[in-house]
Amino acid sequence: MLHVKDLTASIGGTQILRGLNLDVGAGEVHAIMGPNGSGKSTFAHALAGRDGYDISGTVTLEGEDLLDMEPEERAAAGVFMGFQYPVEIPGVNNMYFLRTALNSVRKARGEDEVSAREFLKVAQKAMDLVEMKKDFLNRAVNAGFSGGEKKRNEILQMAVMEPKLAVLDETDSGLDIDALRIIASGVNALRGPDRSMIVITHYQRLLDYIKPDYVHVLVDGKIVESGDHTLALHLEDHGYADFVNHDLDDAKPLSGVSS
Amino acid sequence: MSESLREIEELTEASYEYGFSTDLDTDIAPPGLTEDTVRLIAAKKNEPDWLLEWRLKAFEAWKTMEEPDWAKLDIEPIDYQALSYWAAPKQKPVLDSMDDVDPEIRDMFDKLGIPLHEQKMLSNVAVDAIVDSVSVTTTFKETLAEAGVIFCSFSEAVQDHPDLVREHLGSVVPVRDNFFAALNSAVFSDGSFCYIPKGVRCPMELSTYFRINSQNTGQFERTLIVAEDDSHVSYLEGCTAPQRDENQLHAAVVELVAKDRSEIKYSTVQNWYPGDENGLGGIYNFVTKRGRAHEDAKISWTQVETGSAITWKYPSVILQGDRSVGEFYSVALSSKRQQADTGTKMIHIGADTTSSIISKGISAGRGQNTYRGLVKVLRSAENARNYTQCDSLLLGSDCGAHTIPYIEAKNPTAQIEHEASTSKVGEDQLYYCRQRGMSEEDAMSMIVNGFCREVFNELPMEFAVEAQRLLSVSLEGSVG
Amino acid sequence: MSTATVPLARPTRRDEAWRYAPHKVLDQLVLEPQANADTSVADDVLAQLPELDGAKLVIVNGIVNAELSNFDEPAGLSLSTLAQKRNTNASAIAAHFGGQPADVFEATNQASAADGAVITVADDAQVTQPIQVVHIASPGSANATSYAGVVIHVGQGASASVVETHVGNAANAGGSHVLTTVTLGQGATLNHLVLQDAPSNHVVISQVSVSQEANSTYNAHAFNLGASYGRLAFDVALSGNSAHTDLSGLYFGFGDQTLDQQVTVTHDATNCTSRQSFRGVLDDQSAGIFNGGIDVRPGADGTDAEQANDNLILSDRAEANSQPRLEILADDVACKHGSTVGQLDDTALYYLRSRGIGATQARRLLIDGFAHQVLDTVEIEAVRTWVSKRIGQSDA
Repeated sequence: MLHVKDLTASIGGTQILRGLNLDVGAGEVHAIMGPNGSGKSTFAHALAGRDGYDISGTVTLEGEDLLDMEPEERAAAGVFMGFQYPVEIPGVNNMYFLRTALNSVRKARGEDEVSAREFLKVAQKAMDLVEMKKDFLNRAVNAGFSGGEKKRNEILQMAVMEPKLAVLDETDSGLDIDALRIIASGVNALRGPDRSMIVITHYQRLLDYIKPDYVHVLVDGKIVESGDHTLALHLEDHGYADFVNHDLDDAKPLSGVSS
Repeated sequence: MSESLREIEELTEASYEYGFSTDLDTDIAPPGLTEDTVRLIAAKKNEPDWLLEWRLKAFEAWKTMEEPDWAKLDIEPIDYQALSYWAAPKQKPVLDSMDDVDPEIRDMFDKLGIPLHEQKMLSNVAVDAIVDSVSVTTTFKETLAEAGVIFCSFSEAVQDHPDLVREHLGSVVPVRDNFFAALNSAVFSDGSFCYIPKGVRCPMELSTYFRINSQNTGQFERTLIVAEDDSHVSYLEGCTAPQRDENQLHAAVVELVAKDRSEIKYSTVQNWYPGDENGLGGIYNFVTKRGRAHEDAKISWTQVETGSAITWKYPSVILQGDRSVGEFYSVALSSKRQQADTGTKMIHIGADTTSSIISKGISAGRGQNTYRGLVKVLRSAENARNYTQCDSLLLGSDCGAHTIPYIEAKNPTAQIEHEASTSKVGEDQLYYCRQRGMSEEDAMSMIVNGFCREVFNELPMEFAVEAQRLLSVSLEGSVG
Repeated sequence: MSTATVPLARPTRRDEAWRYAPHKVLDQLVLEPQANADTSVADDVLAQLPELDGAKLVIVNGIVNAELSNFDEPAGLSLSTLAQKRNTNASAIAAHFGGQPADVFEATNQASAADGAVITVADDAQVTQPIQVVHIASPGSANATSYAGVVIHVGQGASASVVETHVGNAANAGGSHVLTTVTLGQGATLNHLVLQDAPSNHVVISQVSVSQEANSTYNAHAFNLGASYGRLAFDVALSGNSAHTDLSGLYFGFGDQTLDQQVTVTHDATNCTSRQSFRGVLDDQSAGIFNGGIDVRPGADGTDAEQANDNLILSDRAEANSQPRLEILADDVACKHGSTVGQLDDTALYYLRSRGIGATQARRLLIDGFAHQVLDTVEIEAVRTWVSKRIGQSDA
């Protein structure tokens, strides 16, 4: 489904991604872990199309070249990004925002727009998923939301947008255990054979709730190790020290990691 | 002429028979403004002597006054002697179908989502399926008559309700109030008059749309609204439709009188021609709007200003009666080379008076947007309260936003709060919306509309929807 | 400085910067500088000054009084008088006299101020002891006006503190105008304190013009306390990138005083920050004026500017006039301002009284609390004490 080959990204002359390769098959959940500053968020933004990065390499989604597309075209192609810091948009009603987003994407795909009535049904289902009260949709987008509410709003949007590829950037940051459980169960409910996910996180904790098919370790702009969920457990115990500050090409397979 | 069209004419023009049935032979006064011009206007309109005297007094005052120069406006000098101050009411040309309407305007109608029958009425297109519009107008007149509400042209009111007009005309905006008000008082052509009797809640929103007729109201419009004790009225001025006019200078005066415990809500959407990218050809809009609120009365101004090359406008409230309330909600957009200098004055005289001001200024292109406001608390105004919030949004680096509030407090019990902020649309906000699939323009328009939310909430529903679209249309091309 | 033509007319109410000024009082002033003025000073006037040691320039009726001054120069500091400088190195102070005058007073000052203080801090010098400039007005005849100039330059990377005090002799009504020009080199820091406590029959106009190079910091505190009309004006130009300005002020009006603060901060470079915070307490028939502007020029991206003006009105004859202005011509800016007018909080008064504090003292405490939010940011203890004592005396 998603093929990333030799992806590099730099911002203001500083190189952040240094030749990242990743293949994500349909229905797979890949976790990307790494220390602060390793390029995790940059990878997410490179997929979503944020301005300001110098990008090279190739990224295709179902054979379509993503890198030539504007952010909204990528959204229409099925890329959804869950932001680490969801943006506040004062005065814009959450429901209106979401319906506009959904209809923009549908229009771009040549589909009919959804009516207000249909939309409400879809939204209601999504709200149940993240255990949100009805008034939530009538508030301004993320404005005055608590950290947990913002992240739940991201998952709610994902549920409505039904993306092919969901990139969740540090969705667990700043959450208490209850909010984490709600969000994880929302994400799990949205797993399916046609939907791939990339879950970016610093801590293993989230992966107790969202079991990934693959775990990758991103250090210094490259994936230095890949494995199954046990790799995450190893990181939990040993930190990233094993991967940092030594010549990665010579890195020996780690105990406890099946490759 | 078709039968139906005649019907419309009868409905809309019958009222003018007094004002315009003069047999003086000239149709357009020669350019220039002298006492004779004023006398000619009064004679043409068959006005009573007291009104002529009043106009002459205003003219005398105007001669001694100077054009204001303090506003943050860059204006080509206006030659007042080169203008013509009287033209016989002109028939707008009747068009056969919407196809004859300026395509640019038609395009705008579509973008604003204005219903077809309204589009036709606004463009003066001969209507075949007129049943709708006619019945709307008729029902509307009947309903108002039942309630005892008077809603008619100013000229008509002068003839039919001279005492009411005489009692209130100039009672809020005196003839020598300012340069443009004096000019208007001397030469005003026509406008609207509205009277709500005691205890009456006006059964519908009064919209100038219903008063639109095939005649130009002219460049010096006069509006007077009187709400008697315990009455209530919501008045909508203008419409979101694009307004073209060959008159470059518009100097209107609006006076509101809100008697004890009454409420007047006055909403404006102004979308006059702003001129092109180089600032050519737009309207100069110099308006004096003021209300006087008696005991426990409330006056609320809401405005969405997106048109005109130059706007100079400060809808104000004199909070005279104890516990009276004044409100001002404004969205002003300046793009292209537009200049807007707008705001409000809240004059607290009575005790326990409160006022609130919410102003949202948007600057784009090479537009210059100025909020200029005065909150004045006189010694007599015990426990006066004011809250002001002025926010500016800048779109692009060639535009400007200016906030110039004046706060004058002479009573120790006053509580005045003023807050202002200036910001731009955040890159991250745009990116967030685009990641959710919206185009950059849609995202921009959504964010800007969100910025204006508090003001749009004050507009009647239909108006708010159109205003929102209008803002988006006006911003087209502003995204880099 | 030589062309003695003063083309400007006296300000009127139509001039925005003079809108609320007491024009009756101003119009009585004799504009021409007083000639042959006495430069002796009564002891009780000297006793009014803050207790500060070290370098001190005392200027009486616009002329430096060498006997009363202390030309002590710690390393890196150079003190001289405007009169000397004009003879020895006129070009160094040309800018002081070359600015576009904002009004007739400034024009007269530029045309005819004969003397004043010149303070130069060498590059990288850290002068810790505050430098005092004392302006004493002692009008020789009714409504006589004196003019003085102050030129302060703080070199690259250097820092200094200057305390300017305006006092006077009440024998005659009169006025004084001081034009202060401050230039800050790259990375320089100046702490500038302006204390205005002239007699109640005087007019004091202090016009401070500041020009800042990159990474410099200008901190000013303005205490506007005396005079029938006290006007403290600051015109700050942030001309170098990443410069910072912090202006705060306190005005405390009694009797029929008018205390006027005129502030303009111009952002003309990128990433500069500015803060304005002015507080007024107005009793009796006094009037407070705050006319503060943030002016962001095209291209001044990254500007971060804030402005606040808060007024307490204590009497039903006092008044507060506030004009917090924003003029924004760049789009990458964060600007906000706030202005409030109010009275002492009834609930707070009640709370204090319920704890056994008498009404008068409770009032006093609350006013002090309001004023101290400005005062507490002053680092020089002698100045803090001076202001604290001064405002404590006037409101019993």
